[in-house]
Amino acid sequence: MILVNRALRAAFDRLLWPFHALPPIVGLVAVSLAVSIGMLYVFKWTSNQTKLEAVKRQIHACLFEIRLFRDDVPAILRAQAEILRHNSRYLALSLVPMLWMIVPLVFVIAQLQFHYGYRGLRPGEDFIVKVRLKEGWERSGAAASSQGSSRPAATLEAPAGVMVATPAVWMPAERELAWRLRAQEWGDYELKLRLGDEEYAKTAQVSAAVRRRSPVRLAGGLLNELLYPAEEPLPRDSPVASIALGYREDSISLFGWPAPWIVAFFALSVAFAFALRGRLGVTL
Amino acid sequence: MPSRRQFLGLAALAAVECGRPGDGGDNRTSVIILGFDGMDYELTKRMMAEGRLPNLSRLAAQGAFQPLGTSMPPQSPVAWSNFITGMDAGGHGIFDFIHRDPKTMVPFLSTSRAEPSEKKLKLGKYQVPLAPDKVELLRYGQPFWEPLEKRGIHTTIMRMPANFPPSGSARRELSGMGTPDILGTYGTFSYYTTDPFTWAGKDVAGGKVYNVGFNDGVAHGLLYGPPNPFLADAPQISAPFTVYVDPDLPVAKIVVGDEERVLKVGEWSDWVPVTLALVPTQKVNVIARFYLKAVRPDFGLYVTPLNLDPRHPAMPISTPGSFAGELASSTGLFYTQGMPEDTKAFNGHVFSEEDFDTQAQMAGGEVLRQYPYVLDRFRDGLLFYYFGNGDLVSHMMWRAMDSAHPAYKPTDAPFADAVKKVYERFDRVVGETLPRVDAGALLVVMSDHGFTSWRRAFHLNTWLEKEGYLAALDPTLKDDTGLFTNVDWSRTRAYAVGLNGLYINVAGRERDGTVDPGQREALATEIGEKLLQAVDPKTGRRAVTKVLRREEYRDRGHLDIGPDLVVGYAKGTRGSNESALGKLMPEVVTDNTEEWSGDHCMDPDTVPGILVTSRPLRKPAARLQDLAAAILAEFGVEGFPRR
Repeated sequence: MILVNRALRAAFDRLLWPFHALPPIVGLVAVSLAVSIGMLYVFKWTSNQTKLEAVKRQIHACLFEIRLFRDDVPAILRAQAEILRHNSRYLALSLVPMLWMIVPLVFVIAQLQFHYGYRGLRPGEDFIVKVRLKEGWERSGAAASSQGSSRPAATLEAPAGVMVATPAVWMPAERELAWRLRAQEWGDYELKLRLGDEEYAKTAQVSAAVRRRSPVRLAGGLLNELLYPAEEPLPRDSPVASIALGYREDSISLFGWPAPWIVAFFALSVAFAFALRGRLGVTL
Repeated sequence: MPSRRQFLGLAALAAVECGRPGDGGDNRTSVIILGFDGMDYELTKRMMAEGRLPNLSRLAAQGAFQPLGTSMPPQSPVAWSNFITGMDAGGHGIFDFIHRDPKTMVPFLSTSRAEPSEKKLKLGKYQVPLAPDKVELLRYGQPFWEPLEKRGIHTTIMRMPANFPPSGSARRELSGMGTPDILGTYGTFSYYTTDPFTWAGKDVAGGKVYNVGFNDGVAHGLLYGPPNPFLADAPQISAPFTVYVDPDLPVAKIVVGDEERVLKVGEWSDWVPVTLALVPTQKVNVIARFYLKAVRPDFGLYVTPLNLDPRHPAMPISTPGSFAGELASSTGLFYTQGMPEDTKAFNGHVFSEEDFDTQAQMAGGEVLRQYPYVLDRFRDGLLFYYFGNGDLVSHMMWRAMDSAHPAYKPTDAPFADAVKKVYERFDRVVGETLPRVDAGALLVVMSDHGFTSWRRAFHLNTWLEKEGYLAALDPTLKDDTGLFTNVDWSRTRAYAVGLNGLYINVAGRERDGTVDPGQREALATEIGEKLLQAVDPKTGRRAVTKVLRREEYRDRGHLDIGPDLVVGYAKGTRGSNESALGKLMPEVVTDNTEEWSGDHCMDPDTVPGILVTSRPLRKPAARLQDLAAAILAEFGVEGFPRR
């Protein structure tokens, strides 16, 4: 999974690079177009197009029957029942290609979420970095308690361009440390968390561009790696459960209305798919 | 058919005619008015002579600088209403911060009224309001920008006092002084503390103190909003918050909804959006700032009054409605309450001098930060921009300049320049605006009144009692709770409400009136003459130097709202807070030992404001209420106000 995520990160970073300085909707239009073309081909190759065409013809015939015999109630009811039956058949025929599409779509959406779902930090903006420790962190050599205190021996270091504005608040009940930081200059930064003898990195982006942003770096695990692929997972034997950075969620302007990027993505993808299905010879 | 040359000639003539001032008004004139609340003429003159106000000095040198006569009484809502309407209090109906309802004898805020919808559909424990709540501006009279808008001249009116809810007649408006917090008050702060003794049993005016307890470094609290209109028993709506205090270090994390802030002791958060849930589909959006005052030995967390979120205000605060949100998006969230400097937290000793200074600078900073944004978008017409910081800082910090003040402490010395620093900030605003003057705009810098030290407090109701005009139920009562609870109305002929108002207890008008209406004027005259003879026993000087009978107001449209006498105290003396709300005190005149040490609610002749203009006005204005007509004259508009 780690290798897959590495490959996907590299691929999406390169693919979206030409759009990084443009309004997010531009890149999203291009991505939606590419995804809809790709999905049309996946649908075409993994579905039984002949049967799908036949089912659609039967549905059309039923609809035609309803229009033709609109004074004949029993005929209309019979045609509607037929439509239901053919629709079920249509869904059944679509199931296999849907299953084929879901897998790549999950990876695509997971990658896009971290490019379009979060707004970068701005110079002068404060943000919080939270480190959550695993249960039993006290027994970890890496997280040795400082002398005479029950708090972990943790420090957060920031490069020039980002300032650590407060000492950490240690919340024993939550096993959490929280710092306030201030972004000072545009740039990509790597924060360093030192916990005992161990060191962990966390990316921080002070940027207005469309870039991959990781709001949280989690401990390794299949689900974590599937859902949070934007950054390398923390080592499994680490006492750190997560390092979170408070990026604000972002939205896309859709005809002047702010909307989550995924709404725009699905609307555009569906529109492109319907527009291109004839040209690509795909029956949907 | 005209030739091409004839046509061009006619077009040029038409263009000249269109640009000529006249009845239609000159819609290419630019006038920028900077309203510096409470900027004192004497102090300004002195600082100009010292070279500390170079931009104002430059403006005065090229134009004019004069004292500007203020209103009677010289209270901000009265004074600004004089300016807005060109009329005195008799015309616009604002006589004081506080008026009284003669039918109930209950005091109320004079400039606006919020009334919840009375028509409600009850469904068990729920109720559905069938009409929106009503927010009403109680100021009468036409605002001076209205005739300009009627002539197509664009006006932008920023934070004009006594203009909440906004008039709706300017192109762009943001309401100012008089805009309430979400509780409908002029600002009620909250203070959460573990200190069980300092605040026990104390009522802090303008704020609420809550005791919180910590368990393993974690405390929970509630931010309180107004009563829930959707529930029949109308409990206060609230938003929970959690504070995590570090076991060793002076730092804490505050969590409100999805928002988290980490603060060191002595730090302020930025504006935190807070959602107050009403019912599952309805909510109220507010904003608050948190100030972590201490974590050990006792915890102390100050929370600002819950301000309306300008992006989704629960009450109208701007014209158009989206303008407040536009300002917030472009310049950041800001205090929407009319008087943001928290004088109450300072007076109640929740704030130290440093705390107040910091908070006042933050509040003033927001207004300063928005100014370039508004100025950049101003092309022509009228721009009015209000700065209230000078008034409230002067109220709280004046004694630092006056070592003879009864409340002066040696620790005040570092703040001796606090007021002057505000004046210097105002001067920089003038400096930012001067390029517009060079480009042809008329710049008017004005204030509503001046300022002076408030050393002696005059308990007017106590004076009335001693003179036999007011009778106490228990003359020996030590802890009068105020609101006239110790007044025997059946034996009372006169009483005072507000800082300068004195009312005759008229039969048929007041709830328990005793004075025949035919005797009202004679009694008012008698009391007025006696007041002018009142002497402060400590100074041996007159305590009152001016008294105005309401019949002496020029404008008479709304005289019935106001007091029968308006009292102008001698310079340095002011009506006491206790008397303003109907409390009887043992002595008539006492030292003012409050943090609130500067004031202006005195004889108006002793506290004039300022008027500085980039060129002499076509129509001179010696008094505040003449200024609107003078501004309109610059646009070629005459005949204001229409009486």
